[in-house]
Amino acid sequence: MVSSVSAAAADANGLSPSREADEAISALGRPAGKKKRSRSKLWFLVHSWLALPVWIFVFFVCLTGTIATVSQEIVWLADPAVRANPPAQDAPLLGYDALYEAVQREHPGSALQFISRPVKSQFALTVRVTYPDATSASLYVNPYTGHIQGQSSSFDFRQFMRALHGWLLMPFTNGFNFGWYAVAFLGFPMLASLVTGLVVYKRFWRGYLRPKLRLRQGARVFWGDFHRLAGIWSVPFIAIISITAIWFFVMAVLFDNHIALEDEGPPLIVAREDVPRVQAGQRPPLISLDRAARIAHETFPDLEPSFVSLPSNAFDYYVVGGRGAYPLMFETVSINPYNGAVEETHRVSDHSAVEIFTDSMRPLHTGDFAGVPLKLVYFFFGVLLTMMVFSGMMIWTKRTVKETAAAIKRPRRTRGAVPARPSAAAAEGHALRGRHG
Amino acid sequence: MASKTMAAPPTGLAAKWRRWRFHLSALLLVLPLAYLPRYFDDLALSRGEKGLGQREIGQLAVGPWQVRLAEWRVEPPLPEGEAGHMKTFTLGLCADCISQVKAAYVRVGKPRSLRTAGALFSGSPYRLMASVPIPQRAGADAQLWLTLEGWDGALHQAAIPLAQASPVTQAWLARQN
Repeated sequence: MVSSVSAAAADANGLSPSREADEAISALGRPAGKKKRSRSKLWFLVHSWLALPVWIFVFFVCLTGTIATVSQEIVWLADPAVRANPPAQDAPLLGYDALYEAVQREHPGSALQFISRPVKSQFALTVRVTYPDATSASLYVNPYTGHIQGQSSSFDFRQFMRALHGWLLMPFTNGFNFGWYAVAFLGFPMLASLVTGLVVYKRFWRGYLRPKLRLRQGARVFWGDFHRLAGIWSVPFIAIISITAIWFFVMAVLFDNHIALEDEGPPLIVAREDVPRVQAGQRPPLISLDRAARIAHETFPDLEPSFVSLPSNAFDYYVVGGRGAYPLMFETVSINPYNGAVEETHRVSDHSAVEIFTDSMRPLHTGDFAGVPLKLVYFFFGVLLTMMVFSGMMIWTKRTVKETAAAIKRPRRTRGAVPARPSAAAAEGHALRGRHG
Repeated sequence: MASKTMAAPPTGLAAKWRRWRFHLSALLLVLPLAYLPRYFDDLALSRGEKGLGQREIGQLAVGPWQVRLAEWRVEPPLPEGEAGHMKTFTLGLCADCISQVKAAYVRVGKPRSLRTAGALFSGSPYRLMASVPIPQRAGADAQLWLTLEGWDGALHQAAIPLAQASPVTQAWLARQN
């Protein structure tokens, strides 16, 4: 039954080579082949239906995600204030204390909360400060001179792209919002598309050896070739993006249901007796930022400190962190600001396997852990993935349009033989083609 | 029925539906457009461009220190699992107090000792934040207690009616009881 329908459909389409129609008809006499074919048809239908009904949304998410990957670099290109130009060839980088003083000199009275030294040396430092009028800002500070070159405006392109891509700009009022769920959910159809795509594309590994991209045989052929070629080269990327997205979904479900995978224990605070008591009108001195950075370095010699977080209350720590040997995770050292004691360390080896897995998900998704070259790789594959969503839709519409035209032209011949949905006929036609590469 | 549909190609609405149904997910993109003003509003709030919080409660004397208190958002307490319902307040210390005040705490009801002074304010001294649990059984006359601790160990307290600190919380409590 299925074979006869597909044969008629292929005929009705007027676009399948007759060889395929013959194949389909001859399959009638081969029960095993028939079974195999109907299964691959089914896989093809699944593959088509996974993204098609939501293709514009998927396209939007892929496109915004691709831009978000390089948003920092776009800002770097657009705004000279975020660049770190050394004043002389061999100018040394300033230490944290010198930076602190430089910021205080230019913006007196500002309260520093966080200093971040981007892994990429071409970027200015980011210093988060608050002013007496309760406003706060992220300042771009030259790492060589300490000069405040500028500050993030109220429109922060990087933040905006992330919010647009990650949660459709929706507010987080109570737990994760609908936007987050809607976007992260796409990880499921994307992973399923990857798997079914490889199942449907018979002997896809041949595509690596003999890449095929026919430019002059019409849009339908071009987009089909593109979809397959981009698909096989993007297998690891799509797997990474979809699996991490699925994790974002799972993470939100766990969080919103107050389920913790790991018991984090009570938050770390400086013991009351460790906070010095002083005379009225005085305040106890804190150890310097440079000393904190030195203590962190002495604790973990291979740690490259890339940020210092200043205490946010009297019982809080200096937290010095950076990437160690395992690039996907930050390692941190919590240092008592009064006596310099190392109170807690978070090394990769201190984490459970579950934590290492979950903490690695975000950098894997964004590709921001190994400098600009990796970001460009992510950007390239992001563009491919975005184009794949588009090409998938193009293949579908081109085929459907042709097929509808054919159905209009030859209504009598197809009567009683064409399945209810033109899509099903198209799918079958393609399944046959896919089988022959 | 199905073959008939194909034999006589759909016209009008049906044809449009067939053609456009796969593009309907574009409607989801209305969401970021609709939330755009709210997004920038929230950003302005977090950057402090709207002041200490969405609703400034006013100035308060806590012992020798002057503080400003605000509701971070004008909204009822939010459920946070086992912690119960939480409400966030913001606090600004006067310029002279910053060097003198070691810590600030807030809770609903009078604390019996420093150990039960409540949620610790955290952040920049110009805008400290604390999320305080609001007991669902708190009465209409519930009070919000601020405890400030000096670096020398001095303790000072002040209280204001919850109804004054957060009318929406008071209204929410009335609905709970």
